[in-house]
Amino acid sequence: MSESQSDGAGLTERLDRLRVEPGNLGVSILDLVAVGVFFLFFLMLVAVGVLSLNYGMYLLGLAGMYGFMIVGLNIQWGYAGLINFSVIAFWGIGAYAAALLTSPGSPHDLLLSPVIALVVAIVAAAIVAVLIGIPTLRLRADYLAIASLGFAEVIRLLFLNEREWTAGSRGISGAPELFEWLPVEPAVRLLSTTASVGTARNTVVILGLLFIGYVLVRRIHRSPWGRVIRTIRADEDLAKALGKNTYMMKMQAFVIGCVLMAVAGWFYMYAFEYLDPGELEPLQTFYVWVALILGGTGSDRGSIVGAVTIVAILEGTRFLNEIDLVVALFEAIPGIALNVSAVRLLLVGLLIILVIRFRPQGILPPKEELIWPGAAPDDSRSQERQATREQRGVDE
Amino acid sequence: MSTLQLVVNGIVYSSVIVLGSIGLSLVYSIGNFANFAHGDTMAIGAFGALVVAIGVNDYLLGPEAVVSVSPTIAAALETTVFSLPIWFFVALLVGMAAAAILVVVTEFLVYRPLDTGSIELLITSIGVALAYRALLILGFGSDPQTYGVGRSGRIDWVSESLGVAITPRDVVTVAITAILVVGLHLLLQYTTLGRKMRATADNADLARVSGIRTGEIILAMWVIGAVLAAAGGVFLGLDTLIRPRMGFEMLLLIFSAVILGGIGSVYGAMLGGFTIGMAFEMTAALPFVGTQYNAAVAFIVMIVILLVRPTGILGDDTT
Repeated sequence: MSESQSDGAGLTERLDRLRVEPGNLGVSILDLVAVGVFFLFFLMLVAVGVLSLNYGMYLLGLAGMYGFMIVGLNIQWGYAGLINFSVIAFWGIGAYAAALLTSPGSPHDLLLSPVIALVVAIVAAAIVAVLIGIPTLRLRADYLAIASLGFAEVIRLLFLNEREWTAGSRGISGAPELFEWLPVEPAVRLLSTTASVGTARNTVVILGLLFIGYVLVRRIHRSPWGRVIRTIRADEDLAKALGKNTYMMKMQAFVIGCVLMAVAGWFYMYAFEYLDPGELEPLQTFYVWVALILGGTGSDRGSIVGAVTIVAILEGTRFLNEIDLVVALFEAIPGIALNVSAVRLLLVGLLIILVIRFRPQGILPPKEELIWPGAAPDDSRSQERQATREQRGVDE
Repeated sequence: MSTLQLVVNGIVYSSVIVLGSIGLSLVYSIGNFANFAHGDTMAIGAFGALVVAIGVNDYLLGPEAVVSVSPTIAAALETTVFSLPIWFFVALLVGMAAAAILVVVTEFLVYRPLDTGSIELLITSIGVALAYRALLILGFGSDPQTYGVGRSGRIDWVSESLGVAITPRDVVTVAITAILVVGLHLLLQYTTLGRKMRATADNADLARVSGIRTGEIILAMWVIGAVLAAAGGVFLGLDTLIRPRMGFEMLLLIFSAVILGGIGSVYGAMLGGFTIGMAFEMTAALPFVGTQYNAAVAFIVMIVILLVRPTGILGDDTT
């Protein structure tokens, strides 16, 4: 009560504290320049005619969606060292929340607002994450890996088989317009007369949300919480010895990551307007993993780079069978048929193997982000590995 | 379906899971990581055997055979043992060999050059799993296939006396599994290689100091694990269909089995595999739960074990 009655001076003081300096956003001038250059490049591609504006905006929206999942996974694996193989399940929880609550094709015919669906998606993902975390987060890291992979399969089976609730393999189609009040139409009309306003609005929404999410994540990454969670990853016993409740901290990291994945799923329903359990294939989870380790484990910037990279890989491989060289190559090998999805699978598998073999820290290493300032003058990774070995030695 | 019938089905399915989970447990205890490619190793075995089946059915015996063989050889190939043709057992051996060769190649190309912790190895094994599956789809397509072994009926005297349908191939599956499991037990307990493997699993550094070439032990671990997994894959393919995704679907079950039995304990893996296989088939007897959820039941069992006894049934023992 006393706070609401505080005088004017107190208020300005508090506003001062709330004011965020550019540096505090965790977004440097260089980052902004990089993003600016990327968008200029994107507009150039559109202007030259390599990309149509609609397809380009669709790709940006897709990258934004992957960005959410990768930033979420980065909190779990990059910050806290939690191996989550059920990315797609949490994505599915978000997507089905949007589809069931707001879609005209939903078997429940609720037609609620997308904002309510977003809230439900976040709450549901958080509750489920806690339920998965309780049995696994106290144990060694690989238990979560195994349990989460199983959980993803169970979620897929549930959405596939509970037809009365989820429409099963028939799928749910149609979705309301997202945030119709956003004034994107004039801006889009400046660029093109034929561009789809709906796609543009969706892209603006997801990129805007991603920006907010990114800034928040940078905030928590640099906060005392972020420092402790990185200590847990490097040496959990040390964090425990310092009196930190590492189980609770890991749980928080897990829940935050899962919520971000659910937001990505929620967005998917509005961008693609169709959802069926086929989208919940475990392979999708590994796309996100590849994107994260390509971008750089533990690096927030890397997550964004990874999002662009994975969309480039996924969309690029769609046109494999139009490249003469590739077709000729596959015809040269007897007994092998060119199958785009299999080639993509192979590519993702090889990328995982090669990145861990040659650049375990990813394309954009997190620099000092993971290192306690001044505490690790030499190669901190080898220390971490040493710690892993000793850990394993003790375990047996 | 009668409960006794479900038990019989459970024993047959357990065989497949036991064969898969032993290798996974070996890699866990000796190689020190959770090998997510193990399910796909089972699929490799199944497809290795499929090559022989296609070869025999399409090129040697079928109506449009490319190579003409003398009737004696054809008859010899078609000779049945427990109503399975002789060539099927050859196919089983070929599947085992194919999986063993592939994992050894993988060990040299992928795992051995890595100087990383167990978590990085785990993630690498995911890459290996995806690559295996991609190669299977590229080579064989993604449609389900069969070995082209004619269905044989149930064994009459069993179904008359007990009212349970047991096919000869069920008997073969369980018998060969039993032989392999007993063989592994003898190998681990009574041979020098087995003692070396147990020593390496117990403490790799100490084993190395005592003069055990742990690199060779790791190769032995891969070969044994792959041979057993391939046999499991072939039996699964014989029982159901051969699909590139079959390995991934088994992965969850064999992981549940290994966690249930206690990570790193081979005998625990056998026990866990048996329990999970039974649970999988017994789902049909549960009220309100359809058989489409039998994979979910394995998952629930795993979660309960993690909550109640994370070390598993035999977790404190070593190999």
